[in-house]
Amino acid sequence: MEMLEYEFMQRAFIAGIIIAILASVSGSFIVLKRYSMLSETLAHSALVGVSVGIVAGFSPMIAAVFVALVSAWLIEYLRSSFDIYSDAIMAIFLSASLAIAITIISLAGEFNSSIFSYLFGSILSVTTEDVTTIFIFALVALFILALFYREFCFIAFDEDVASTSGVKVKFLNYLLVTIVAIVIALSIRVVGSLLIGALMVIPTVAALQFKKSFALTVLYATIFSILSVIVGMSLSYHFSLPSGATIVLAILVIFILSLVVNRK
Amino acid sequence: MNIFEVKNLSLIVDEVTILDDLSFNVKQGDYVAIIGPNGGGKSTLIRVLLKLQKATSGTIKLFGEDQNRFNNYSDIGYVPQRASLIDEKFPATVLEVVQMGRIAKKSLFQRFNDDDKNACISAMKKMSVEDLSSRLIGELSGGQRQRVMIARALASNPKVLILDEPNTGVDMLSQKKFYATLKELNESENITIVFITHDIGVIADNITNLLCVNRSLLESQNPQEVIGCQTMSKLYGIDAHLIHHDHSQCGDH
Repeated sequence: MEMLEYEFMQRAFIAGIIIAILASVSGSFIVLKRYSMLSETLAHSALVGVSVGIVAGFSPMIAAVFVALVSAWLIEYLRSSFDIYSDAIMAIFLSASLAIAITIISLAGEFNSSIFSYLFGSILSVTTEDVTTIFIFALVALFILALFYREFCFIAFDEDVASTSGVKVKFLNYLLVTIVAIVIALSIRVVGSLLIGALMVIPTVAALQFKKSFALTVLYATIFSILSVIVGMSLSYHFSLPSGATIVLAILVIFILSLVVNRK
Repeated sequence: MNIFEVKNLSLIVDEVTILDDLSFNVKQGDYVAIIGPNGGGKSTLIRVLLKLQKATSGTIKLFGEDQNRFNNYSDIGYVPQRASLIDEKFPATVLEVVQMGRIAKKSLFQRFNDDDKNACISAMKKMSVEDLSSRLIGELSGGQRQRVMIARALASNPKVLILDEPNTGVDMLSQKKFYATLKELNESENITIVFITHDIGVIADNITNLLCVNRSLLESQNPQEVIGCQTMSKLYGIDAHLIHHDHSQCGDH
């Protein structure tokens, strides 16, 4: 536990655990809406913001939040307003975002170690301001998720019937993708933009193997997510590996164990 | 009291007329069946009534109020066509699904209370699914899931229950029980029932009104008068020969 004596590790653990809770709770609704690719797509969109931030010399995290938000709203608008398959829209955004990000970085000749930490996460890069930003946003996001928990559940289960029951489906769909976009952008420091999608999706898929109620599935996903962040960050510290990679490997192990334990 | 007042309702999508100048009323306590060929616009009519799809022209009043101003959603219980064909992997218990029916009754900061719990238990009892309350919805049979979906619709104590082909994926025995339950809800609780079906034999014995929809509304009268070879031929566009059974002599409905 000597790693917790270092301030940078304390910051990384606080930020990581908050991200774990946010990613798994919001990710549960995304997975159950069969919208898992959204997190991966927005993570790539956030990378455009990071590259603009690095090249233009302002906060990559704020730029990432902005680009991820715009992408999330555009995806939701296209999904709900046009006759296009959701997964096709997300595939377009994913590849387009990556292409734009790489082009910006290459043109600026900025392909260096700092972009590497944004791609795969780095516990060393988490600042006190990052922790404060993540904490404030987490309070707001968790309050909203708790407030609309039953509505989000209803929409995930049956969007049409939710609509006929007076649930503001369109507004809540936009609200959910907004939260997901911000969670993803804020997670970049800890998990990295290429790996945050896994933290949003895999804990819920692992929790689903236990075939419990909706409430327990969200709880299990949150526990798995926190566990993977703690184990992953510890491995990152001890073996000097990118934290995003070790966190995702930890959640993958939990997923495989959940399959084995619940084998028919 | 009119639950639905529909006047000159039309829906045109991509220059194709889906619904053509429909006018009809559904009164409190009616037991209405909607029949018609596949693609004739039955489900679309329901979707338009429920504001899931916007009409091109015409007026719709729900409980005497213009459809656009209506917001008393708990008065309407809706069970869609795919009710028994839900995502089997969805991690929701029967109780959690039935509780969704109470959301329309709650404001933003209100949590579920004893009234909600009692309404859910009562709805589950009516549909005989109270013993399944802790089971996952995906583990149930088609008939059981259908009953849970109706329990969810009943949880808000609706004045009208709308069901879109409720027997999709349900076996014959469950269908018979289902129609008996619908009739009981209509008679004992005065819940207006509107449902889409292809099961013309069953509806003839029970319903009070019949809407025959094939783009336009062909008939809206006494079902016993309507269900004849001529109307069926007109509705389905084929020569129809109906064989009438006397159910009273069968001893089993």
